[in-house]
Amino acid sequence: MLSLALTGVEVGFPGLDTPALSIPRLSVAAGGQLAIAGPSGSGKSTLVNVITGLERPGAGQVLWNGTDIARLPESARDRWRGANVGLVMQDFHLFPGLSALENTLLPARLARVADRALAARAAGLLAEVGLHRPAQKVETMSRGEMQRVAVARALLRRPGVIVADEPTASLDPANGAAIGALLVGLARRSGATLIVVSHDPALIALLPRRLTLAGGVVHEDVTEPA
Amino acid sequence: MLRFILADLGRMKAGALVIVALVALAAALGVAVTLQERALRLGSARAADKFELVIGAPGSETQLVLSTVFLQPAALPLVGGDVLAALHDDPRVAWAAPVGFGDFHHGTPVIGTTARLISETAPGMAQGRMFATEGEAVAGALTGLAPGDEITPTHGELGHDHENVRYRITGRLAPTNTPWDRAIMVPIQSVWRVHGMAAGHDHAEDEAHGSLDPDTEGPRQSADHDNPESAAQHLVEGDGHGDLDSAEQEHVEDEAHGSFHPDAPLPEEEGWHGAPGVPAILVKPATIADAYKLRQDYRAQEDTMAVFPAEVLTGLYATLGDARQVLAAVAAAAQALVAVALLLVTLTHVGQRRRQIGALRALGAPRGAIFAMVWGELFALAAAGIALGLGAGVLAARLLSAAIAQRQGFELPVTLTAGDLAGLALLLALAALLSALPAWLAYRQPAVASLRG
Ligand SMILES: Nc1ncnc2c1ncn2[C@@H]1O[C@H](COP(=O)(O)OP(=O)(O)OP(=O)(O)O)[C@@H](O)[C@H]1O
Ligand SMILES: [Mg+2]
Repeated sequence: MLSLALTGVEVGFPGLDTPALSIPRLSVAAGGQLAIAGPSGSGKSTLVNVITGLERPGAGQVLWNGTDIARLPESARDRWRGANVGLVMQDFHLFPGLSALENTLLPARLARVADRALAARAAGLLAEVGLHRPAQKVETMSRGEMQRVAVARALLRRPGVIVADEPTASLDPANGAAIGALLVGLARRSGATLIVVSHDPALIALLPRRLTLAGGVVHEDVTEPA
Repeated sequence: MLRFILADLGRMKAGALVIVALVALAAALGVAVTLQERALRLGSARAADKFELVIGAPGSETQLVLSTVFLQPAALPLVGGDVLAALHDDPRVAWAAPVGFGDFHHGTPVIGTTARLISETAPGMAQGRMFATEGEAVAGALTGLAPGDEITPTHGELGHDHENVRYRITGRLAPTNTPWDRAIMVPIQSVWRVHGMAAGHDHAEDEAHGSLDPDTEGPRQSADHDNPESAAQHLVEGDGHGDLDSAEQEHVEDEAHGSFHPDAPLPEEEGWHGAPGVPAILVKPATIADAYKLRQDYRAQEDTMAVFPAEVLTGLYATLGDARQVLAAVAAAAQALVAVALLLVTLTHVGQRRRQIGALRALGAPRGAIFAMVWGELFALAAAGIALGLGAGVLAARLLSAAIAQRQGFELPVTLTAGDLAGLALLLALAALLSALPAWLAYRQPAVASLRG
């Protein structure tokens, strides 16, 4: 339930003449659902990194419920992200040798916030995403199952915003559709804001608002009438 | 966190094992060098403990000590019997006893000495009693001989038998943890007699043998020892045919051992007047001041040499210490090499895990946790290696000591001191510090790395 407001955000990289991302103004309402599309290299991942605090913009404000995370020092940004953002990535970033349950709990454990209640919630989430063997080692799972674990992990700490960067790109269409539906459904039920980067038309179609980037600037911002 | 570390180690079991083994090897090397050197020093100091002052004929001080304390076979020049007599009468001397070597029984040295020396240097009899006649002998604790056994000594380790000479073991000594545990002690009188040198005899008759060989005698020979005729000459002349071996054999049988009197009593306290020469005399000075005075006196005489074995050994240790330093340097270099190799491996490892580490941070793991994880993993490996190395080093030193004890008969006590543990603690601290470098690198790893190839 976080609202986002970007103002005057510019991200440049050494060796690039034009900024990789330039967004004068963008806002997403709390609980809103946004798809970000655009050709490769248009700055989609850069935008995700900026709004999750992984990258600090060269200029501008990134306000989440009024907090400018661009101003937070690195450790504070990490802490803010851990508490408020549920991240799902194209490569699932699960840790081999650990079970589905342990993977779901790992970031929370490393942040020393995992208690008994959270462990129970992890088990519940795994069931919710359709996994019934929480003790299964992740390296023995199918890609679709792995991404389900990643989704459960993202939701564990009840984040105010769920950010997914190409969550279905490395899955077959059936699994992709299932993951997309899961993300949208879980976000809606929890009330979390959802921001999804995707090339996948089926996934994009599930979301009411679509932002298209081109060359680092917003090319199109379409909201379907509800 | 622990689970994560264990899972991570589990994934690279082989690599982790190699790392632990490498660290263990390097640590064990250092530990073993230190312990073994100390064991050697302690062990030989203990072996020399009862040998306060040794007097012999001029020659190598080191050899005199090695032969007397460690029973190392060597042809020593003889010191005259009158020296023994003079020491016996000297008020500064608590007791003095001759030590005669050169005979063996199946590789075990047969030492001619006195009951006094044995009772003063050994903690007591484990079995049986002290020898009382010339045909009796006392066995050291580790000779494997027991009262009732009979032995025939050979001349030199591979020499001919002293035929007709037969000692009966009357007692076995309690262990002294010195090389003397592997020796057989017989009355010095019978050694003299077997070698045809008995007190008062014309011992020019037979002096062709080993350490009681006139060729190696010092300038001082016993008073009646002015017959210039060499044994070989004597043999050749006597037998007419130049076969030295058979001649000597014959000679030994005919003349030398004819005078072995197994039942002769041992008039030990007679004062040694007219005693033949001996390779070494062990002296127990009455006081410390007397020890220095005696040493000075017998050093001043040009036909005797007096040494404190402890002092000679200290000189040897100094040399040994240099060797130890070289070994210690080698061990340290090996440890440094292992440390550098490990650092390289782990830095590469952290580099390869950029994405994984970045992902953990992106998912909300604090940087401190990532530092702790990488550090913990590395330090656990190093600590396991060091602990294992300590065990292996101690074990290696023990085995080496046991092997030396088996061969040389003297104990090399392997002891760990607080200093060793402090050294290991230092090594651990170093490992902790070195582990911090890759951990720091991981700590600095930007979180975005996870999202970019
Ligand atoms: N660390 C960096 N250094 C230099 N240039 C970078 C860096 N990261 C991104 N870029 C550049 O910024 C631009 C936008 O990159 P970004 O990853 O945001 O694209 P994207 O829209 O996510 O593409 P894709 O669909 O392939 O994931 C690209 O031109 C890229 O080369
Ligand atoms: Mg991208």
